[in-house]
Amino acid sequence: MSEAIEPGLELLDEQNRFISNHLRRIFLQIYRIVGNVADAQDLTQDAFIKALQHQEQLKDDQKAAHWLSRIATNTAIDFLRRSGRATFCEIDHAPESHSETPEELVLQGEHREYLEDGLRLLSPRERAALMLRDVEGLPAEEVAVQLNCSKATVRSHIANARTKMLRYMERRKR
Amino acid sequence: MKRSHHPDPATLALHAGGDLGWFQAWRTARHVERCGECRDEAAAYRGMRETLPGLAEAPGIQWDHLAREMRANIRLGLAAGECIREVDVAVPRVPLLNGFRAAFVAAAALVLVVTGIVLERPTPSAVSAGVPVVQATGEGVERRSGDHAFALMHEGVNTNRVTYSVSAQGTMGASYVDPQTNLVTMTKVYVE
Repeated sequence: MSEAIEPGLELLDEQNRFISNHLRRIFLQIYRIVGNVADAQDLTQDAFIKALQHQEQLKDDQKAAHWLSRIATNTAIDFLRRSGRATFCEIDHAPESHSETPEELVLQGEHREYLEDGLRLLSPRERAALMLRDVEGLPAEEVAVQLNCSKATVRSHIANARTKMLRYMERRKR
Repeated sequence: MKRSHHPDPATLALHAGGDLGWFQAWRTARHVERCGECRDEAAAYRGMRETLPGLAEAPGIQWDHLAREMRANIRLGLAAGECIREVDVAVPRVPLLNGFRAAFVAAAALVLVVTGIVLERPTPSAVSAGVPVVQATGEGVERRSGDHAFALMHEGVNTNRVTYSVSAQGTMGASYVDPQTNLVTMTKVYVE
């Protein structure tokens, strides 16, 4: 009897470990693309469900992490395409970290809002490419893998995104 | 410096993040060193990139609470997926074309093709002995009814120059132009 249950428990443990190892990373990756905590939460859950339904892909840890990142990026881009928007909004929860002073938090919030206004000018793929390259620091080759396109296309997305962001910042300065 | 000699904004944008190939990176760096305008533009791109890590963290979220909620929802989603998969497994899916169906379809198609060929084939007209027939014989036009025949012969005429015509009513005609006299000879035989 116990033999019949064991594989199920083992699988459950494996899945829990997989979720714990990658949850924060994937949530932040999706959040950076969609810019909204509530949407990022839903999409993170979707990405994990999609990944865990193909258990055979999760045997190799490193490959599984890459694969999960690709699913996350594609899920986020699909969502932006479908909804045709990226809404950046704060949530009402109390901040987790209390090390910053209230003034610092206000400044951080304003800075974030300022950047997020600029990100709204980018297409979903430009936004994803900029986030993966300039915020997460992935090499362009890895960004190309995640976006499932050529390195030349990724470079074009990155260049467009940086140019649009710079023009946006220059306009805001005036 | 001529405008055409400056790298375009996309090249400067890629240069700022070290995303150019080595030759293009070297050429752009060399230009930026000498050109104040491009140096400023490249510095602006670098400055813009340095502000982006401000987007790295989600704003003020209670991570533990959020993570617990997401874990629970993922488990729920997986369980729901399992239920659907079980239903999928329980209903045996019959392939669209199994052995028997494929054989039946092939046989039906074969019957259809054979029927088509048979119907399309021209049936030779059975000519009974009593029915009169008009035909060209090479020497003239002949009306034949059983053993009896009546023929209009083209005497002394080159048979290659005779033109025959047949009508749907069973009439047969033969026309001939004499090359020496240019006289036209026309013959028509009617079947009644």
